[in-house]
Amino acid sequence: MGKIIWIIGFMSLFLYAGDRGNEKGMLQANCLSCHQKQQIPSALIYKRYLMKYSTDARMEAAMFTYMKSPKKEFSIMPAPFFSKFSMKQKMPIKDEDLHRSIKRYLEKFDMKKKLVLEKEKQGAQ
Amino acid sequence: MLRSEKRSLIRFLLIYLSSTFILFSIASWLFYVSSKHHILDRQRETLEYEAEHIQTQLRNLHHANTEKLVYPNDPHIKSAIYDVDKHYIFGSFPKAPSLSHLEKKDTLYYMAHVEPYFLGAAYLLVAQAVNDAPIEALQKNIFIFMLIAGIIFSLLGYYLGRLFVAPMRDSLNQMNRFIQDTTHELNTPISTILTNIEMIETFGKEEERSTELKRIELASRTLSRIYDDLTYLNLNHQYHRNIVSLDMGRLVEERMVYFSAMAEAKSLKMQRDIAENVILQIDRNDALRLADNLLSNAIKYNKTGGTLTVTVSSTYFSVKDTGIGIKKENIRMILERFKRADSSEGGFGIGLDIVNQVVHAYGFVLTIDSQENKGTEVRVTWEK
Repeated sequence: MGKIIWIIGFMSLFLYAGDRGNEKGMLQANCLSCHQKQQIPSALIYKRYLMKYSTDARMEAAMFTYMKSPKKEFSIMPAPFFSKFSMKQKMPIKDEDLHRSIKRYLEKFDMKKKLVLEKEKQGAQ
Repeated sequence: MLRSEKRSLIRFLLIYLSSTFILFSIASWLFYVSSKHHILDRQRETLEYEAEHIQTQLRNLHHANTEKLVYPNDPHIKSAIYDVDKHYIFGSFPKAPSLSHLEKKDTLYYMAHVEPYFLGAAYLLVAQAVNDAPIEALQKNIFIFMLIAGIIFSLLGYYLGRLFVAPMRDSLNQMNRFIQDTTHELNTPISTILTNIEMIETFGKEEERSTELKRIELASRTLSRIYDDLTYLNLNHQYHRNIVSLDMGRLVEERMVYFSAMAEAKSLKMQRDIAENVILQIDRNDALRLADNLLSNAIKYNKTGGTLTVTVSSTYFSVKDTGIGIKKENIRMILERFKRADSSEGGFGIGLDIVNQVVHAYGFVLTIDSQENKGTEVRVTWEK
């Protein structure tokens, strides 16, 4: 019985790791490869979204809307940006895959998990 | 201190001190509430300043490109950031506080809106423990103020209370003296009457009865005069004066006859200088009280074998005795009710008060000229 549990557990872990690896590959292939090629800093884009939308859910919704319909009014970049750079093309990607890629993107650049508490200043007011 | 006086003083003090206490308590409470608000507002201002400072740190963290983002942590000021949906992101509180249930006891909170959302934070909550020291100092000061005010107002209240009951104390003392004098004054003539009646019944011979009867008559007249004086004083305010043309000279002569028995008992020499047809517009009872009191006083305070001089002219009426006289400083005092220059003699001290009332009612002038141990002249002038 113990062996069966071990095998099921190991299989689940393997499947999950496989799934994660798949998402990572999808993000790299669909998003980051282009960003890196064109030297578009993904972390800064994340910070712009975070500064405007605050929560992951709202950021995800805003990114999804833009990806599905890349227009100035849905973009996080300011309007003058597009006088210099052209608008990106709509990507032929399934909604489900897009959602998973965005989630993976948010997770990758999440700033909140980098937060640590400063050691208490002694004698500070 | 009399029991009623003590009771009045206690009641006054209770009302005075309780009303003062209530007034001061309300004023102190309002002052306390206002000052406490002021103290807390000042502490809240510090918190607002701290919130601005933390926001600057959040902005710097947001733009930092480091592996770790070090969130500010102060032992006295705690803070936390929340996203736009008010979900907790991060903070320095030991336990993440819920924005809908903030434990406000002993803690001051300040909520700042963060715009734009650095690190995704839409709200910044800052808190610090209330500094009780200035509030405790305020409470202590108010307590000391109340204590000092309580002591001062208690002393003031006691002093005012004594002033407040002083007229009552005087009235009670006068009343007690009056009752003592009345009982004494009534006792003497009544005892005289009873003793002489007894003597007539026991030993009375025909020829000796006239002496006892004279004493009885004298005592009865004294009683009658006391009755008249007391009635006059008692009814003075409701008394309706019946003004008639009255021959003052004749009235004084009548009253001298009336008092002759008293004068004889003291072996007084009577001298009279009474003008005819001195007509005054006066109520007969007032004129009687005036003459009777001046005559009886002159007889009472005269020395045995002295002289009684009665003068009625067209302008004044005067009675002069050769008695004990009145000290200069006592002359004004004896016009007051229940005051007597010499308490060794009987009486209530109401005689000159009655005379003074009559004199005032008719606009006459009363002058008392007295020399100690030589005699007194009392003069009532009606025409200048």
